[in-house]
Amino acid sequence: MENALGLSGYQAIMMTVVFALGLLGIAGLFLAIFWPKRWRLKYRLEVGFVVLLLALAWYADNRSTAIFTQYQSAIRESGTLSAETTAPSGQFDRELRVIAFQWGFAFLTDKNEISRNAAIVKPGEKVLFRIYSNDVIHGFNIPAVGITAEIEPSQEGSAVWIRAPKEPGRYLIQCLNYCGIGHAQMKAWLVVEGAEETPEEEPQA
Amino acid sequence: MANPLDAERMGGLPHWEPQDVIGQMTLKDLLFSHDYRHIAIKGMLTSIVMLALGGLMAMLFRTELALPDIQFIQARSYMSLMTLHGMLMVFGFAIPLVISIMYYMMPKVLGTERLLWARGAQWSWWMLIAAAVLLVLSRPDFTWTFYPPMSLRVVGDLAWMGYVAIILVALSEMVAGAVLFRNGWAAKGRFRMMPLMGWAALSEGILLMVSTPVLGLVGVFMLTDWLQLTAMFDTARGGDVMTFMFLFWFYGHPAVYLPLVPAIAILYTLMPRILGKPMWSYWSAVLAFGLLTMLSFVVYPHHFQPAETVAGPLQRATQILTLLIFIPSTMHVFNWIATLWGDPIPISAKRSVPFKFIIASIVFLILGGVTGYVNAQIAVDSDFIHNTYWVPAHFHAMFVGFVANMAMAGVYYLYPYFTGRMFNQRLGSMHFWMWQIGIFTKVMMMYVLGYAYFPRWVVDYLPLPEWSMPQMMLTGGAYLIGLGFIVFVINIMLSAKRGQAVSGDPWVVEHGLTGDAAATPAE
Repeated sequence: MENALGLSGYQAIMMTVVFALGLLGIAGLFLAIFWPKRWRLKYRLEVGFVVLLLALAWYADNRSTAIFTQYQSAIRESGTLSAETTAPSGQFDRELRVIAFQWGFAFLTDKNEISRNAAIVKPGEKVLFRIYSNDVIHGFNIPAVGITAEIEPSQEGSAVWIRAPKEPGRYLIQCLNYCGIGHAQMKAWLVVEGAEETPEEEPQA
Repeated sequence: MANPLDAERMGGLPHWEPQDVIGQMTLKDLLFSHDYRHIAIKGMLTSIVMLALGGLMAMLFRTELALPDIQFIQARSYMSLMTLHGMLMVFGFAIPLVISIMYYMMPKVLGTERLLWARGAQWSWWMLIAAAVLLVLSRPDFTWTFYPPMSLRVVGDLAWMGYVAIILVALSEMVAGAVLFRNGWAAKGRFRMMPLMGWAALSEGILLMVSTPVLGLVGVFMLTDWLQLTAMFDTARGGDVMTFMFLFWFYGHPAVYLPLVPAIAILYTLMPRILGKPMWSYWSAVLAFGLLTMLSFVVYPHHFQPAETVAGPLQRATQILTLLIFIPSTMHVFNWIATLWGDPIPISAKRSVPFKFIIASIVFLILGGVTGYVNAQIAVDSDFIHNTYWVPAHFHAMFVGFVANMAMAGVYYLYPYFTGRMFNQRLGSMHFWMWQIGIFTKVMMMYVLGYAYFPRWVVDYLPLPEWSMPQMMLTGGAYLIGLGFIVFVINIMLSAKRGQAVSGDPWVVEHGLTGDAAATPAE
């Protein structure tokens, strides 16, 4: 799946690092208990280990910041956010305004067409979501494209953008922040239209 | 490598005489006595009751979650169970249990011979019980983080009780912090010769005393907002949610170290005794305690990082500091493994139940800790980590895998000292294995679900194969933990009457003549 944050590669490296570190720790622990050979570690070994951790922290900070800054710059270039703005900035193939409410999502196109619970896009499009909440804190997550935002109720709203999946179909959009009793039902669909533009399947929750 | 002074300053010798403290204790002693053993036992007992309550709630909603769709628990009851589970487990079980074990250990380990300012510990306990009663009565459904304006709108007429309970929890923890700091400060050989438990008491005392006043303030504002006297956090009436976020998490991040630091202190106290030798490095541990305390106050914006207001330099600083807080915890783990590696492990240690729990808790600290490395990164956090099951996986590995296991090591270790009898070893081992398999399954399945974007706080979910299978296994793991707990309760109740009577040192270190004892350490 195409990932807007461009993480599929980076994320894989990070998961490998985490897995390796965990395995190293647990292996070290079990060897210390069950392996007959005893080993009195020098203090400088811990210093070396801390230096390794500092290097890992430095690498993670740089890479994560680079990826995130690049992602954010696309939003920044599209201009300031406003609930009233309807003119597309031209940076994106499609711009949708999203109202997150207790409990559901509503999507508004730049022509002010409204859709309850379905964001309709074309395959591979670069889509900007400007998300507003006027009641409580909500979340906005699309698993298929790997993006999460937390939406505080405010005038400014939040913005995220995605690269729509290339495969036509329905993709889950869900709230990730507990927002009241209907939180579990707060879902919508990212509908990626096929070449025929005839979404045949009926959404079912 | 270890300093010869370490044996003494780490409290290397047994201090207590096994005696039937519980049997000789009257109800009046239990409720009002200022003897440190009575206060500590009272804290341990109520924490175990809270564990039973919180665990029962978990069993109920885990049964519901085993299958997609709603089976027998509706959304509101589910959220009440979830909220109470979180609050009882953190405020009622994890934090008070490890602090109570510290109350029991400190007077002897630190050489103060009695719990200084025991009156404070007493007040702290009573306020906590009052808070728990109010919480259960009000049945809040706003999660343990009670984010406004949601929490101000969805709750019923009894919501005020929930907010008063939060204020009481804050007061209770602040007073407990003062008690710990007072005792740590009075430790024999302050700073240069102080046992590591003393450093932990100072660190925990600072964490509690600095963070809890802010929680109390948040509780007061929530109450006045709910009464419509103020509009601090309610956006609809001109308040600001972000004010809440910054205030609450200023408590909320140090709060996650509140059970961690005493658990680490218990480990540093038990390990040298069970192995019969000092820890690998004293100053590395002291440094790690210091770093953890300092960093824990500045990393809190990572809890609401994907919010639009956490941006620019604040976001970057949060990321860097969060990546650095990885280091003190790793230094502790390094120290423990280095200690284990240094000399042959005594036969007595390998056989003992507390030692098994110590080893398991280190495994889970590693398992929960390593993911901190990805959690800290903004780019990954904004993908699959924030508010998916990944986060509960991380903190259940820490709270259950590390803290609860370590607390069990402490309870089993102290058991002969306050009952005069030894617990049943076979039942102890059974409890151990049930817990470890259960907790491992639970934590791993939560990680799997988090990686598959399973949202937190939902009673109902889509029947996706990547969701339903792990949910089912997760419920299985939870049942196993519940069974293990029942074995534990049976063991401690039966052994108090029928267990083998012990005198002298119940934890004598024995090196066998065979096996690894023959190996000589290489410098």
